[in-house]
Amino acid sequence: MFQTDALLLERRSVARETWVAVFDAPEIASAAAPGQFVDIGLRGPLLRRPFSVYRASAGRVEILFKVVGTGTGQLLEMKIGDRASLLGPLGHGFEFDPAWKRVALVSGGLGAAPMPLAAETLRRAGVAVLWAHGARTAADLCSEWTGDEVAWATEDGSAGFAGRVLDAVQDGLDAVLACGPNPMLAAVARRWPEAQVAVETYMGCGTGVCLGCAVPKLAGGYDRACKEGPVYRAADIDWPALPSHLPYAVGA
Amino acid sequence: MANLSTDIGTLALRGPVLAASGTFGYGTEVPLLDRRALAGMVSKGIFLRPRAGTPPPRIVETPSGMLNAIGLQGPGVEALIRDYAPLWAGWDFPVLVNINGESVDEYGELAARLDGVPGVGGLEVNISCPNVDQGGLYFGNDPAAAARVTAAVRRRTRLPVWVKLTPMVTDIGVVARAVEAEGADAISAVNTFVGMSIDLNTGRPRLANRTGGLSGPAVRPMAVHLAHQAARAVRIPVVGVGGITGPEDALEFLLAGCQAVQVGTSTFVDGRAIERVHDGIGAYLERRGVATLKELPRYLPRD
Repeated sequence: MFQTDALLLERRSVARETWVAVFDAPEIASAAAPGQFVDIGLRGPLLRRPFSVYRASAGRVEILFKVVGTGTGQLLEMKIGDRASLLGPLGHGFEFDPAWKRVALVSGGLGAAPMPLAAETLRRAGVAVLWAHGARTAADLCSEWTGDEVAWATEDGSAGFAGRVLDAVQDGLDAVLACGPNPMLAAVARRWPEAQVAVETYMGCGTGVCLGCAVPKLAGGYDRACKEGPVYRAADIDWPALPSHLPYAVGA
Repeated sequence: MANLSTDIGTLALRGPVLAASGTFGYGTEVPLLDRRALAGMVSKGIFLRPRAGTPPPRIVETPSGMLNAIGLQGPGVEALIRDYAPLWAGWDFPVLVNINGESVDEYGELAARLDGVPGVGGLEVNISCPNVDQGGLYFGNDPAAAARVTAAVRRRTRLPVWVKLTPMVTDIGVVARAVEAEGADAISAVNTFVGMSIDLNTGRPRLANRTGGLSGPAVRPMAVHLAHQAARAVRIPVVGVGGITGPEDALEFLLAGCQAVQVGTSTFVDGRAIERVHDGIGAYLERRGVATLKELPRYLPRD
């Protein structure tokens, strides 16, 4: 785990009101594994904000974000050359099986966040990657993609498959890795109980101390999205008990 | 370098900055901190038995603060003694265990169980958690109940006994005097303030627990005042806690009559917060030509 005041190197738009921010954070970049996250400290809000590592290479850590509240608003206002405090890499990411030949990455909306790093890592290991990515409408689809094959899905049918992204994925895969809104992940769990899913929760410290990011387990009790998670075996989560709707706004 | 050591009852601390309960786990989860700055640590609150805690969402950020309702999730005292106390026994700063009960007897039992356990340097009696159905705050806002809990703990242990008070009272001095009279060695002031936040989309509370405890810079001026009021009311040391993010904040508590402070929520944001606070207190004393923290003049008019 490293904490560094990282320079913002670049910011690019990849979908409607959705950006990739690129930070100079060499130690975190070399240590980050797919599905892990960084916790970003900004000047306005009190708590850090967790973001999946979108890409990590050549000393650069990339994250995907949309403005949903005060913290992400500041991420968009930051100028190139400004600094933010990056803490990471944090959490327990995706686990890869060397026997895999063909894997689907299934993402909805901002759930694209951990997928490029997962796809690149899998492809380097010789695994064929199908990336299925869904959004409300064509403008919301992430314009960057990595994979041997990509399948788009939109709820309004404006691009790719018309309907849920899950339904754009065929059977016969060795594994499914998914990220997206919690109700989508609950649907993933029904179809692929063995899928690995990266969940979203509120987070306090990001390091396992505050117990704020509780994830209800089907076997009973809670564990921490920031430590044991954010990636879980889909069938292990008590989905109805996991909040599906997270309001973000923090007043001044 | 100024001498920052301080005595809290019989506990001689190497500095004035401790890690607050619930923000430092069991001492193994905050790897970035330089431990030399840590005068002591208070463990996550523990009950006799394991507790699952409250359903999520458990935390929500509010202006300059956060509401939490964790519900004292924890493994129970036997697991704490088995898994953590042996580690603590090898550390060069004292670990106080934050103890919680649903009844006066449970506090007493916990005190007895932890007495003499190597690695346990003291007890912080939590009569101020706002997020448990039984016990917690309900002992802390009644001076007679606070006294009964303190007495039950005092009878069953030789360890230093600190009592952590709630801010949710009309006169904290009354509760402070009540626990002092029953043999408390020190007072931690204060725990979180009860708060609530509503999600405008759902029209429902943002915390599943409905209410939570407010911490962070938002509470600091209130906490400084309450710690000061407690310090004026008693002769035992007061350990100030509430919204400390930097050395200036800690110094406010010290100048207002506290002998030590606890840093809590700030650790969530910066794993090195305690180090910054400790070093900044030393730098302040040097700038003011004060050789030791004990000589720092306090603003503590007696009633």
